Amino acid sequence: MEIIEKQQNGYYTLTPVGDLDANSSLEMDACINGLLQKDIVNLHIDCSQLKYISSAGLGVFISFIDEIEQKGGKIIFSHLTESVFDVFELLGLNQIVTIVTNGEEVSPLFSS
Amino acid sequence: MKTAIKVKCSKGSLIVIRDFVNKWLTERAITGVLANQIVLAIDEACANSIIHQHQCDGKSNIEIQMSLEAQTVHVEIKDTGNAFPITRYKPRAINDIIRKRNKGGMGIYLIRNIMDEIEIEQKADHFIYKFAKHINGQAL
Repeated sequence: MEIIEKQQNGYYTLTPVGDLDANSSLEMDACINGLLQKDIVNLHIDCSQLKYISSAGLGVFISFIDEIEQKGGKIIFSHLTESVFDVFELLGLNQIVTIVTNGEEVSPLFSS
Repeated sequence: MKTAIKVKCSKGSLIVIRDFVNKWLTERAITGVLANQIVLAIDEACANSIIHQHQCDGKSNIEIQMSLEAQTVHVEIKDTGNAFPITRYKPRAINDIIRKRNKGGMGIYLIRNIMDEIEIEQKADHFIYKFAKHINGQAL
């Protein structure tokens, strides 16, 4: 898996490319941890190139939600495929995190 | 047509297992969200075995066998040692996992949510997870 990182105006976009499973989740964990160490707490996860996610992949995001909120930040997911959204739904995570369909919806959410 | 695969207990084998299961399902016209759910449940069970049962010891193997019978996908995962008690696992609330900043504890919950039947056959030197998923006319 590859992670494309892009600094935006007021937030950071991470685009995982490929499969986020028990094998590749460590890379995402290190990536988010590194950003939080630098006090970057507004994260946009662009799932447009995410083909597959397992509980280990979702677990990385889940484990940082509390820390991000405690630090006054936000984590927003966009462009989920039907299958990836289904995994969020199976765990009830779609009721807890912010998920948008359109990339244009992301920036205003970090400003609000 | 290949209906079984045997892989080394390394994390890198997980993508090999998913590719095998995906191909097997596609050949039977089982696609989309349903196929992803079946792949996910198998991936979660195998990841649990590879990481927790075998500590990613590449000298050990697990075997996955697929079959389709009467509109039901049957999965058998054969492993050595003692089975994780999937059927007795008490799921945790997602809010609790978030609050405790845990990364795990959701795989077994997913398997139980996805599969219609779960059985564990414990033998002297190995065990078999037996999963069944009813597919309601989606297969060829």
